[in-house]
Amino acid sequence: MHERLSFHIKRDSALHRLNPLTKIFLVLALILVAFLNPWYWTPHLLVLIAITPLSLLARVGAEYFRAAARLILPAVGFLFLMQAFFQPVGEEILFQFYFLDVTRESLMFAFSNAMRIFVMVSAFTLFLLTTHPSELMSDLTRRGLPGQFSYVIISTLQILPQIQARAQTTIAAQRSRGLETEGHFIKRAGSLIPLVGPLVLGSLVEVEERAIAIEARGFTSKSLKTSLHDIPDSSIDKALRWALAVIAILSITLKLWLS
Amino acid sequence: MLEKIKNNFNTQTWVLIPIAIAINIAMGQIVLVLRLPVYLDSIGTVLVAALCGPWAGALTGALSNIIWGLAIDPNALPWWPVAFFIGYMAGRMAQWGFFKSWWKVVVTGFVVALTAAIVSTPIAVYLYGGITASGSSFITAYLLQTGQGIWEAVFSTNFLVEPVDKITTAMIAFAIVLGLPKRTIGGYPKPQQVEAEGGAGRTQMYIAVGVVVLLVLFAAFMLRNILGG
Repeated sequence: MHERLSFHIKRDSALHRLNPLTKIFLVLALILVAFLNPWYWTPHLLVLIAITPLSLLARVGAEYFRAAARLILPAVGFLFLMQAFFQPVGEEILFQFYFLDVTRESLMFAFSNAMRIFVMVSAFTLFLLTTHPSELMSDLTRRGLPGQFSYVIISTLQILPQIQARAQTTIAAQRSRGLETEGHFIKRAGSLIPLVGPLVLGSLVEVEERAIAIEARGFTSKSLKTSLHDIPDSSIDKALRWALAVIAILSITLKLWLS
Repeated sequence: MLEKIKNNFNTQTWVLIPIAIAINIAMGQIVLVLRLPVYLDSIGTVLVAALCGPWAGALTGALSNIIWGLAIDPNALPWWPVAFFIGYMAGRMAQWGFFKSWWKVVVTGFVVALTAAIVSTPIAVYLYGGITASGSSFITAYLLQTGQGIWEAVFSTNFLVEPVDKITTAMIAFAIVLGLPKRTIGGYPKPQQVEAEGGAGRTQMYIAVGVVVLLVLFAAFMLRNILGG
């Protein structure tokens, strides 16, 4: 069994038990509110009163904070710095760095923007921590998503680590044959083909075999397929989905009304 | 319409898409090791677009960015429409016969770059206020400081960076197609789109590489003018 790229942590909690579609509604509602609500502190408040408590409720608090610190904060922090320095808005200059000046406005703008992106990514992280990919895909397939889409998502998650490992192997193998991966720019650019060629051609050879294998298992068959696992969809799920949809629609109308 | 979308997809397409997405992402690693100033993160997308058609290419592009965003770098997520149109445009160009010889592939790369520049501009402006987490925002910031409008600044930056990346991407994808056995290509929906014609020889390849080098020099020259003047 190959390692699969997945964040999912198997625990028993209220959030884990929710239907995957409900959780997608939750994530989308959080993102819409964070991006559309006109109040400055909305995204900050969402992190405090929605996302953090939800991660504790789902009993994945430790994993969530680890992912936030390792994955989300560096990316968002970098974005914050770029915007604080480069955004040419505002008059009140706090300090200067060559031709770049940091103003009160650019700092405020960068902070709220970084927080919005933080809400978006951490909401998705929470979703991935509490939902198994195959559970999500079989639920969506049951609701009418073509099975081919599920295949693409699930097998990408399986193949990605394999191809990344293959890329490392190709780099190491070509280096041991004396391929220069350091030095002058032209030399490095010239090394591109000996690295890309084996990686891509090697991966493409498998396509035909895989196609025959899944074809033999009825991949394109039109008949209704049954599922081994039953994914619960309670009345609480349905009520929650309605509530979240109303919140999302409200924030869109508020935005349209104010602008 | 629906029929036209459907004929992009056969079983081999569905199997190729995940592999193409993984190739897109793994290219990031190789470019990082070689420290090259390009992304080359749409080779798989262009490959699917050429072999299977515009809609398959678009789907590959969009899913690549979404999966990349969720699993590796969150900043990639909002850019999925750009990847969608890269795949779509590459597929259209292939359909119009622009994936058969080196110079035509250079044209394809340029058109794809223009598309990417146009689609990414509103995302950069509305979502990020013009300044994104990418290194090229340094140029945008400078253009903004010199008093250019935000739309012009973002678009000129994109237009400066994209062509080199996308032309190289299209050329590598074409080299891969040339290296694939005919039997394999025959299994995809659009094998006639990538049938190499006269201009697929060595000489033409060197000329195409020359064009890219000239473009790199031109971009560097423009950059120096902008940053120095």
